[in-house]
Amino acid sequence: MAVAARTEATTADPSYLGGNLWSWLTTVDHKRIAVLYGTAALTFFVIGGIEALLMRLQLARPDNTFLAASTYNELFTMHGTTMIFLVVMPLEIGLFANFAVPLLIGARDVAFPRLNALSFWLFLFGALFLHASFLAGGAPNAGWFGYANLTERYFSPGTNLDFWVLGLLILGISTLLTGINFGVTIINMRAPGMTFMRMPMFVWTILVTVVLILLAFPALTVALILLLMDRFYGTHFYIATVGASPLLWQHLFWLFGHPEVYIMALPAFGIVSEVIPVFARKPLYGYPMMAYSTALIGFLSYGVWGHHMFAVGMGPAADAAFAVTSMLIAIPTGIKIFTWIATMWGGALCMTTAFLFSLGLILEFTIGGLSGIMHAAVPIDLQQTDSYFVVAHLHYVLFGGSVFGIFSALYYWWPKLTGRLLDERLGKLHFWLTVIGFNGTFFPMHFLGAEGMPRRIYRYAPGMGWDMWNLVATISAFILGLSVAVLLYNIVRTCYRGVRAADDPWDARTLEWWTASPPPAYNFTRIPIVRGRDPFWILKYGHQRSAKGAALDPQRPVLEAAPPDAFHMPAPSIFPLVLAAGILLTAVGAITRLSLVGIGFSVVLLSIVGIGFEYARFGEEEPPSAAAGLSTALDNRKLGIWAFIGSESIFFASLISTYLIYKGRNLAGPGAPEILEVPLTSVSTFILLMSSLLMVLALAANQRGDERWARRWLLGTAGLGSLFVLGQVYEFTHFYHKGLALQTNLFSQTFYTLVGFHGAHVTVGVLWLLALAIASRAGRLRRERSLSIELCGLYWHFVDVVWIVIFTLVYLLEGVQGA
Amino acid sequence: MKTLRGLSFLVLAGCHGATPPMTTMAPKSDFAEWTHTLYLQVIGWDSLILAIVALATFVALFRYSTRAREGEAPTVSREHLALEVTWTVGPALVLVAIAIPTIRTTFRSQPAEAPPEALEVKVTAHQWWWQVQYLDLEITTANEIHLPAGRPVRLSLESADVIHSFWVPQLGGKRDIIPGHTNAITLVPRVPGVYLGQCAEFCGLSHANMRFRVFVDTPAQFTAWSAQQTAPAAVPGRPAEAATLVEAGAQLYAASPCVTCHTVNGVSTQRVGPDLTHFGSRTTLAGGTLDNTPENLAAWLRNPPAVKPGAQMPDLGLTAPQIAQLAAYLESLK
Repeated sequence: MAVAARTEATTADPSYLGGNLWSWLTTVDHKRIAVLYGTAALTFFVIGGIEALLMRLQLARPDNTFLAASTYNELFTMHGTTMIFLVVMPLEIGLFANFAVPLLIGARDVAFPRLNALSFWLFLFGALFLHASFLAGGAPNAGWFGYANLTERYFSPGTNLDFWVLGLLILGISTLLTGINFGVTIINMRAPGMTFMRMPMFVWTILVTVVLILLAFPALTVALILLLMDRFYGTHFYIATVGASPLLWQHLFWLFGHPEVYIMALPAFGIVSEVIPVFARKPLYGYPMMAYSTALIGFLSYGVWGHHMFAVGMGPAADAAFAVTSMLIAIPTGIKIFTWIATMWGGALCMTTAFLFSLGLILEFTIGGLSGIMHAAVPIDLQQTDSYFVVAHLHYVLFGGSVFGIFSALYYWWPKLTGRLLDERLGKLHFWLTVIGFNGTFFPMHFLGAEGMPRRIYRYAPGMGWDMWNLVATISAFILGLSVAVLLYNIVRTCYRGVRAADDPWDARTLEWWTASPPPAYNFTRIPIVRGRDPFWILKYGHQRSAKGAALDPQRPVLEAAPPDAFHMPAPSIFPLVLAAGILLTAVGAITRLSLVGIGFSVVLLSIVGIGFEYARFGEEEPPSAAAGLSTALDNRKLGIWAFIGSESIFFASLISTYLIYKGRNLAGPGAPEILEVPLTSVSTFILLMSSLLMVLALAANQRGDERWARRWLLGTAGLGSLFVLGQVYEFTHFYHKGLALQTNLFSQTFYTLVGFHGAHVTVGVLWLLALAIASRAGRLRRERSLSIELCGLYWHFVDVVWIVIFTLVYLLEGVQGA
Repeated sequence: MKTLRGLSFLVLAGCHGATPPMTTMAPKSDFAEWTHTLYLQVIGWDSLILAIVALATFVALFRYSTRAREGEAPTVSREHLALEVTWTVGPALVLVAIAIPTIRTTFRSQPAEAPPEALEVKVTAHQWWWQVQYLDLEITTANEIHLPAGRPVRLSLESADVIHSFWVPQLGGKRDIIPGHTNAITLVPRVPGVYLGQCAEFCGLSHANMRFRVFVDTPAQFTAWSAQQTAPAAVPGRPAEAATLVEAGAQLYAASPCVTCHTVNGVSTQRVGPDLTHFGSRTTLAGGTLDNTPENLAAWLRNPPAVKPGAQMPDLGLTAPQIAQLAAYLESLK
């Protein structure tokens, strides 16, 4: 079945799975990073599962005293946080997308390999930081959703939630970087001929997922930053007594939180869309519908956050609007379900474990989707929200959807990942135990919810009619635990005694099966040319719809054995690890001693400088983009900056909205009209705008090879930027002396936060400009490297545009109203 | 309809004999009834869709699972426009059928203003108990709400600290209680009875211990209850041994730190903790988690945070005789 010509070229290469510790710490290979993600996330899966089992033990009978209330609250908080941020996302995106996307699109690595490594180390350190809370006096205990104002220092005085806030911020950075990285990879690095409409469906879902990440995570970041300021600097962003509202948290959180649901669901849908065609021996039915429905789900997911807040009392009109948008999502989701069934229809189904889990997903997720429709119906939701009915619903979506998809992918891609096949008999045992344990645990929770059992209660009274189903759920949860033990045993056993996998053990359809199992470090000896959907199938059988009756295509290109060192692969680097450690130190310092924050910052700066020198030594960082004819014609880095700017827009939009929402709610102290000095700020605004002009001149000078003038204009831009920052420092001190401290009132909090974050962005820009000027002085910024200046320019112009918005909304409007 | 309701109750209530006290499946108010009707409709649609999906999946499975083994080739399937339109438009029509009654019920159950004859009850949620006030009747009590059957009631909901959620499943859906906002539920309780409620939004350490009861009374019972509650606090001074215990308890209460937090009309006025004026007439204590018996009260007075983790009331270091006196006094406050 495997294509013989390939093996001779690749078997000689050492597997990427070997190597010493140092090679793993410095790796930038997407496959190794995927293995690191997978190992870490599976470990956290076990930890999160144990937390769940402890909770189930406590709930096994009424008025149980197995766990204290405080422990129980920590467990459900950490269970939710762990499973979402440390298990499902890292497995789907960190492991499977990382491993499979470059292979599926015929690329040699991701767009930014070192950034990829940085994402992993940030993820690992963020996760370890979060778990360090167990040793430091108590884990986070306010739920994964962390509703303000319970999370304020007054109600939650310990360090529990400090770990949560800082840990999630670190994880957020990691996710954001991954999002940028994979977005650029998918858009820019597809093999020749792989148009968007020929991309494997998994790649489609990851593309939509990263767009969701880029646009959703900033809302969470802002929500967390405001909470951090409340807890550390005494502001009152979520405190009602000063006119603020705890509901701001809920809006920001669910603006992130609902897209997050699809960030976890879509990759699983993509997995099913890969697995079912392979084992049905048929191409995916209705490919365009599948692609468009994925994009539509992503788009709609931004308009439905309110359905998490029906009980809040938004009013019947808002409730009805969110009900309708939420119901709309059922249509593209239904299309997916029916399309999968249509793909199976008429196929020759191979009942492998991977296929069974995908099949399981279709049915289990449908149940979760249908109970989701109930929650879109406002009055029903008011009965079910925050009851065990929702616990049932969300586990049918996240376990029945995402985790079933993850298990399916694990069996499907394991031979490619490791070169060995997971045992199918153990796999089927794992599948059936999962189905029994999963449904036995979570289906009774529908009954418990309908009988009125609220969520997040560490004990319940006898005689409520909840005893029996709780016991059933607990027993089933242990069956589910057993199923995971079978999986782990299968994995360990396979590592030692597993059957060696052929390169194409499933007679599959996509490019990853074209290369060796496991793939060589450079993935493909030759970059394939894609001539249609399911490119490997076409390579094997020509444009036949099935293998039956079709001999291997005689026109199939003969593969040449190009020596591996003929193409440039990214060099390993320790700096991603060091940089991530610096950020970890900063977070540790915020909780323990402030001097560590300084050290952490220094480490971060030094590693950025280190990366800069590395760049100078090694030349071009990225593997060359193979898809010259296909890419957007934008350089990877430029596209990356654009993605970053898109994400930053949401960040500032969230901060600006906060300012606008809280405008005019001041209770005490000076407000905007008395404080702001529009003439002075107009001058500094003019200065900042002029700096954008100099930035343009700098780029133009460098592009025509006039490095000296380029340098002057760069320094000029930096100088004007510094003037602007100095003006802001003056402004802030001046306001402070007029009695407007950070904590004075809502205006001061939102004003200082918004303008301060913008000032921080300008400062980063000034440092960047200075670094460019130095590089130019050292002769490292010649004409052909003008892109480096262009990147900085894009950032700089963006920061200026943001300032125009802030100046208009905060200063000018206020000035007009004040006059 | 009736059989359907009975059937779904059997299924969803998990075949229990007695009605579970917090079930959502046995509506006892207009709001709960509307919700339940909608619920049954959606369950019907959901079951239909699930049946179609499951049937299609299993038919596909049984028809095509042997082919691979027998070496048969898959059937070439072409894109089928009619089929695709069906599975797009079909669900859309079902959603319209669900959306219309949803929106109608949403507006109907959230009237902007309560009917003029509505009884106003103000509920203030605390970590972790409920203060209940009838402003027109000048009644303040805790963890127990009495409502007359058949008369509309407007529950206005406020929080003293963090976010809570007011939920009495048999009387209808929940409503979050947000600091700085006043939320409301308007409903007409239909059937007299005792209905259990519980805080439904995680509100800290003892979230599980924030329960309460709603007594839907006949109008006569309600009048009698409100008359009792508006009467002055009981004054001790009756024969026998018990009276001396009560007398001693009354003196102890007035001189103790109790008065810095609690109200007993005519004795103390603070409202940090529950109003105790008619404590003896209530059926529960400690956030509705314990039956109001002298033994439970004694256990509570001995060490409140041991009964309700995180309870704001500290262990006052009372001796056993003091506890007996206080318990006797408080239980006498009918």
